[in-house]
Amino acid sequence: MSATSGAAGHAGETSGVGSGEPVREAAGRRAGEVVAELEITRAWLVDPAAGREGPGEIVVSNGVLEAVTWLEGAEAKGVGPDGVVVAPGFIDLHAHLREPGNEDAETIASGLSAAAHGGFTTVCLMPNSVPALDEPSVLARVRAAAIASGSPVEALAHGAVTVGRAGEQLAALGELADAGIVGFSDDGACVANPTILRNAFLYAGMLGRPIIDHPELAELTRGSEANEGYIASVLGLKGWPAAAEIAAVERDIAVLAEVLRDEPGARLHLTHLSTAGALAAVRRAKAAGLPVTCDVTPHHVGFTDEWLAGARRWAWEALDANGAARDPWLDGALTAGPYDTSLRVNPPLRGPEEAAACLAALADGTADALATDHAPHTLVDKEVEFGLAANGISGLETALGVLLAAVDAGRLTLSRAIAALTTGPAAVLAGWPGVVASGDIRALAQPRGLVEGAPADLVVFDRSDRWRVTPESLASKGKNTPLLGRELSGRVLLTVAAGRIAYEEGAAGA
Amino acid sequence: MPMSGRQIMTVEEIRRAVIRISHEIVEKQAGTSGLVLVGIQRRGVPLARRIADAIAEHEGVRLPVGALDITFYRDDLSLIAQSPVVKGTDLPFDLNGSTVVLVDDVLYTGRTIRAAMDALVDFGRPRAIRLAVLIDRGHRELPIRADHVGKNVPTSREEVVKVHLVEVDGVDEVEIERLPAPLGETVGVSGTTG
Amino acid sequence: MTLEIGASGSPASPVPEAAIPVSAQAPAWRHRHLLDVDVLDWSEIELVMTTTDAMREVLARPIAKVPALRGRNVTILFYEASTRTRVSFEVAAKNLSADVVNIAAATSSVTKGESLVDTIRTVEALGAQMLVMRHAVSGAPYLAAAHFGGSVLNGGDGWHAHPTQALLDLYTMREHLPGGSVAGRKVVILGDILHSRVARSNIWSLTAAGADLWLCGPSTLLRGFDRWAAASPRIPGHGRFQVTSDLGAALAGADVVMALRIQRERMAGGLLPSLREYAARFGLTRERLAAARPDVVVMHPGPMNEGVEIAPDVATDPRSVITNQVTNGVAVRMALLYLLAGVHGEGR
Repeated sequence: MSATSGAAGHAGETSGVGSGEPVREAAGRRAGEVVAELEITRAWLVDPAAGREGPGEIVVSNGVLEAVTWLEGAEAKGVGPDGVVVAPGFIDLHAHLREPGNEDAETIASGLSAAAHGGFTTVCLMPNSVPALDEPSVLARVRAAAIASGSPVEALAHGAVTVGRAGEQLAALGELADAGIVGFSDDGACVANPTILRNAFLYAGMLGRPIIDHPELAELTRGSEANEGYIASVLGLKGWPAAAEIAAVERDIAVLAEVLRDEPGARLHLTHLSTAGALAAVRRAKAAGLPVTCDVTPHHVGFTDEWLAGARRWAWEALDANGAARDPWLDGALTAGPYDTSLRVNPPLRGPEEAAACLAALADGTADALATDHAPHTLVDKEVEFGLAANGISGLETALGVLLAAVDAGRLTLSRAIAALTTGPAAVLAGWPGVVASGDIRALAQPRGLVEGAPADLVVFDRSDRWRVTPESLASKGKNTPLLGRELSGRVLLTVAAGRIAYEEGAAGA
Repeated sequence: MPMSGRQIMTVEEIRRAVIRISHEIVEKQAGTSGLVLVGIQRRGVPLARRIADAIAEHEGVRLPVGALDITFYRDDLSLIAQSPVVKGTDLPFDLNGSTVVLVDDVLYTGRTIRAAMDALVDFGRPRAIRLAVLIDRGHRELPIRADHVGKNVPTSREEVVKVHLVEVDGVDEVEIERLPAPLGETVGVSGTTG
Repeated sequence: MTLEIGASGSPASPVPEAAIPVSAQAPAWRHRHLLDVDVLDWSEIELVMTTTDAMREVLARPIAKVPALRGRNVTILFYEASTRTRVSFEVAAKNLSADVVNIAAATSSVTKGESLVDTIRTVEALGAQMLVMRHAVSGAPYLAAAHFGGSVLNGGDGWHAHPTQALLDLYTMREHLPGGSVAGRKVVILGDILHSRVARSNIWSLTAAGADLWLCGPSTLLRGFDRWAAASPRIPGHGRFQVTSDLGAALAGADVVMALRIQRERMAGGLLPSLREYAARFGLTRERLAAARPDVVVMHPGPMNEGVEIAPDVATDPRSVITNQVTNGVAVRMALLYLLAGVHGEGR
């Protein structure tokens, strides 16, 4: 499709998408610069907010999306969804940008560059920085760093539920809400004490903010290294039971259901769900009308625990015709060495059946969003024994590629994939219908779409163009991804956030 | 990778050489008292047995025959991976005070014999060690000399002398061949082709 | 050198049978490291066994020492306390005339927070050419192998693997079983399977050998092995094994019984009510052993808790080959050090 889609620059401005071939050379624009003139012709537009996708053209002028034209008939001929795609900018509900405290692993600036390279125009920072984001002064630091970075990518933040994320005493929830945080989470740890959780639901509900829980019963996972099952047994790794997640999810929902009688504004968002059991519980809660949302990560959708043994096939390739897990030893699927610490993550990579459940949840909407759980780490923290390695995968820049692999394999529609990166997370942020959020959250997290007259906020990627994941190709300081060396489809050509260039393929500094 | 070699010893020449060596050994020792034969694995072992048979025939005395594997005494570890199979050492007699006649098929650089002597002295203290070989092809790299030689064959370093014995290869003959390919390829196959 | 080998025919002649095609004489050992048994195919396991035979012969010599690894630096790096295995490796390396350097984690800079990778680089810079390593974390030797220029020989990692133990166990079984083969023989591994690297490596070698393998123990210490048991016969070249908590069924007609050490700390996690209860239900006693074949081979990788997993009279019974395991351990480790020493660079 790239042969026929493309863009023509206006008034001497070179566009990010050349006619015929995607432009590789520096286009002369720098990140942060307002998009003066941009025209993308004959591309595949995906607008989940409007519930529409198809051939079309867009025009951006002085940072504003001036025109969105849907092509029909003869004009649309030859334009398909396999080439250049234009979509609203992506929103990540869950990213660790490590600043303050661990700037050797990532900074706000490098993290926002990574986000832009991944097509994200909004990222929600998790509060497990050092110090934790449990009071407004930390948020002020984060904001200052975001502004100093010059990146137009919106850096939103979640505040801690408890002081120091220690699970004992509520953090300054009201002050944090007033300062503009969008949710509360002790991510990295579950809110273990159910009484604290109950009170957090009540108080955050009053403030119109969700509690974003990392569901894990720590007593079941102490010392755990890998998903409990066949692979962990063979590799001699301590099992990480699915029940630890399922039980925490069931508990959270039960506590929420009761709290709602007293505080109808209470909301629960469950992050990085990795098990069929937890997703089934969310499905039941939604059917019962409870204000529960959830996300899954690219790695729990695309990777499985057999990667720990050295397999590298996609999760859906590890299932047989009956939907049962294949055996990587039997299949001769072990193409890499075992115990790659880039695969150590919390929750752990699960079996192919669980990954299929995560993908199915994305497809049917049980999972409202795809969240990266972008967790960059230094080599020092990863180049150690598997059991001693830090948990986390660097994921902002590969999320789109993993989802597109599922789309390419026919496991997910392109429109659902884009919705899980745009309208899905926007809806989680914007709140439950009827809930009045204070402050400017709604303005920050408006449902994304290709809206004429609004500041351009979009991503342009080419599904026919593959790129290789290498330490050099990642803008993140965290090179800890098992995809290193692998080619992904859907090279991002251009990311425009709030009318300004966030990332442009081939541009200086990109 | 077939190599057509030039035959330098026939069945009959090998037989006669073995008989001659057997006479020389007894003559040099002035009898058979204290004599033991130790063949170096692989083709030295059947040669040692043939010499013992010949001595039994003309002297009426059966000399003890042992087998010596010098694998662990080689001075080039890189050969292990190519041919890691150890064929075994079997010395069913006391070496102390005996006269050991080491038997091998080809004497070349002398390194195999050096390794064999190192191995032998780990088993005991022979009164003397002598050396009998079917072929001496020259090019010594160590100060080693054979006491009994079946045939002296002038060779170049680019040539390979191949001894085939019925017990190992199904045929008795000695061939000389020119190395046709880089060394690495011939090492693994020599002694078994043809 | 090479020419002499090719010419003399004696030391390096490969397989004697002239009938074997040239292609079958490809290098018979290709592994630079030995991290687990799972990478060995059956012909390679057989090669280890025959090389061990040769090492047993060396051990029987008046001077049980050969110069095969003369000038080679074998560094023994143990991050876990162990006397038996460390000494076994040390004796094996010295029997091959290697220069042996011992590093115990307690005395190294590990306690000062040096990373494993730094330690590996340091021992290599200090001249280590072969590294024997034990570590409490599963998979640690794979990290070491990725950063070490020489050979890594796994002396036990976490719960994962103990390849030299599995190979010496196999050698010992073949030595004592009539017919010299474990194929079709009922082999029982009894005890704490969950935490046992010995059991895991033995699963690979014994299913490859065609044994009728039974894993037996309390359900808390067997968790997760049923799926492996179900998968194993589908893996090319591997037979089935089974998992049971029924000790009577496991021992009935057994040819080999191997008891594993029960560690006291298992009770802290609620895995066992008490050692007394374990001994009463799963201890290997003479009465229970009566259900096995009369000539059953009794094994234990050591160190033993006599009176817990094995009764003292069983440990010293004539049918016990526990001390043979120790002797064979030296021979197997000599064989592996010798085989690994020949592979450089591109070897796996």
